[in-house]
Amino acid sequence: MMAWYKRAGVSVALLGVCIVLELTFHLIVPDTAYRNLIQLALVNVVVALSLNVINGMAGQFSIGHAGFIGVGAYTAAIIASNIHKSLGERAETFQNSFLVMPPAIIAAALVAGAFGFLVGLPSLRLKGDYLAIVTLGFAEIFRLVIMTSPPGVETGGIRATIGQLGGPQGYSGPDRYGVAQYAGPFWLFGGVIVATIIAWRLKFCGWGRALRALREDEIAAAAVGVDPTRYKVTSFVIAAMGAGVAGAMWACMRDGNPSVQPDQFNFALSFDAITMVILGGSGSVSGAIMGGLFVTITVKMIEQLQRLDVIEAWKVQHPDFDLNALRMVVYAVVLIILMIMRPAGVFGENEVTRFRKREPAQAKA
Amino acid sequence: MKTRHPTRPAPSTPIGKPLLTIDDLKVSYGGIRALKGVSIEVKRGEIVAMIGANGAGKTTTLKTIVRLLPIVEGKITYDGRDLGTMSVEEVVEAGISLVPEGRAIFGGLTVRENLELGAFNHKRRAEMSETIDDVVALFPRIGERMKQEAGTLSGGEQQMLAIGRALMARPALLLLDEPSLGIAPKLVQQIFEAIAKVAESGTTIVLVEQNTRLALKYAKRAYVLRTGEIAMTGDTKTLAANEEIKAAYLGG
Repeated sequence: MMAWYKRAGVSVALLGVCIVLELTFHLIVPDTAYRNLIQLALVNVVVALSLNVINGMAGQFSIGHAGFIGVGAYTAAIIASNIHKSLGERAETFQNSFLVMPPAIIAAALVAGAFGFLVGLPSLRLKGDYLAIVTLGFAEIFRLVIMTSPPGVETGGIRATIGQLGGPQGYSGPDRYGVAQYAGPFWLFGGVIVATIIAWRLKFCGWGRALRALREDEIAAAAVGVDPTRYKVTSFVIAAMGAGVAGAMWACMRDGNPSVQPDQFNFALSFDAITMVILGGSGSVSGAIMGGLFVTITVKMIEQLQRLDVIEAWKVQHPDFDLNALRMVVYAVVLIILMIMRPAGVFGENEVTRFRKREPAQAKA
Repeated sequence: MKTRHPTRPAPSTPIGKPLLTIDDLKVSYGGIRALKGVSIEVKRGEIVAMIGANGAGKTTTLKTIVRLLPIVEGKITYDGRDLGTMSVEEVVEAGISLVPEGRAIFGGLTVRENLELGAFNHKRRAEMSETIDDVVALFPRIGERMKQEAGTLSGGEQQMLAIGRALMARPALLLLDEPSLGIAPKLVQQIFEAIAKVAESGTTIVLVEQNTRLALKYAKRAYVLRTGEIAMTGDTKTLAANEEIKAAYLGG
């Protein structure tokens, strides 16, 4: 347990780091493409950290995380863009981001959390594959409802309201000038830091231990007073809120995509999130961070390798060869090799600081 | 177990008066009625056994008491309070601990972590380590294996751990579901001696057991369940002498 002044000191230091990064990030990484990649990796770290709460810590299996990210992204995009408009559409400055991002992030977390509660309820009666199908169903319903409700087709009723979200073209602000992009490095790095601290504390407090107990044996957990219902639903809500925040970071990311499109939140995104968690090690906070970074960067690196001169020349010689498809093959091979070498993920359930063996809590001598 | 620490919370029911009353309890699994009106009374300080064949409803009764199964009809009263309105957590908080069937321990956690989870609802650290000392005094084998993963313990040791974990909440009423199941006879002996010690320290015990001989030896009174109903009840001495019981459960 840290003393309060130490904690305050660390908080101020972290805040300082985020502010410095906000001001200097474009100098440290001058290339926009690389900057975007790093920003995307940060968003993915929050995605992995949040999914780790359900799939890793609680031992449930959700394959619909994209749905929660999408809910958060749309919510944040709408809030941020409307506040931006009411501010008079001035430049998206760092100072103004404090007026825009807090409400956008909080709203995204709350709305996504509400959906997490709804999807979490069936988890009381469903297990394993069946629960997975419910979560996938939610994500697909969310995506398809928006996809099939183009704007301007209906003039009244619920479809007209959903049509305001832009249908398949996506949402790009109230006047279609694009989503306000206030989430600079300060908010992205800050989001990762806050998410990491929350995930860490959840894992090592009584709540995390109760979840582990629940995962090991539900009846035994109930027998010691861990209410399965409450803990499962709470883990869903917390994970969904985290995904909502990740969605908000994504939607409002500086230099990011100016519109939020339903197809971004497809099954592939949920699957990527699962890969990040499993690759890093289910239940490990360090693993989720590593997985988020690794998956984002590997996919991008393979893309970059394709542009090498050797490969380009080879592509000219063999025009039938679809290198784009090969990208996914290479990615899969990397994953398979990793899983053979470390079947429980890179970290297992351990953390960077506790890599060797779980330290048993010390008894009073 | 030494009574350094009285059970908590101490029941307001005086010793010898009914602590747990189950009145005409009916419970269903899906469409199948598992309990067809079971009435049981457990007085504070006694060991009561529930015996009967597979599927008689013994485990169902215990699970319903700790709120893992919903009550269809009937009433369960513990220490003057209606259990029907309580949550799983509140039941543990009220002083009831279940040792589930089949040594349901947390295999991936260490022995110590298992014990600490037993005191999940009481977080006072100092008290917790004293209670761990009590459990270790009761089961010295557990004390030797504190840092081991619980899944690596032998069957008997796992059962000891499961009982120890339930005792961590310092229950006033301990529910044991088949503590002898699949355990070496020598360890069964140790486990039952420990259960007797726990009872001596003032904890009320409901013992579900297929090993009728053991159950009748250690309990004061017993209920015989048959297909969801109470077939017989009485003093264990009387039951042990009963011809029908002898033939059906004691092997003649």
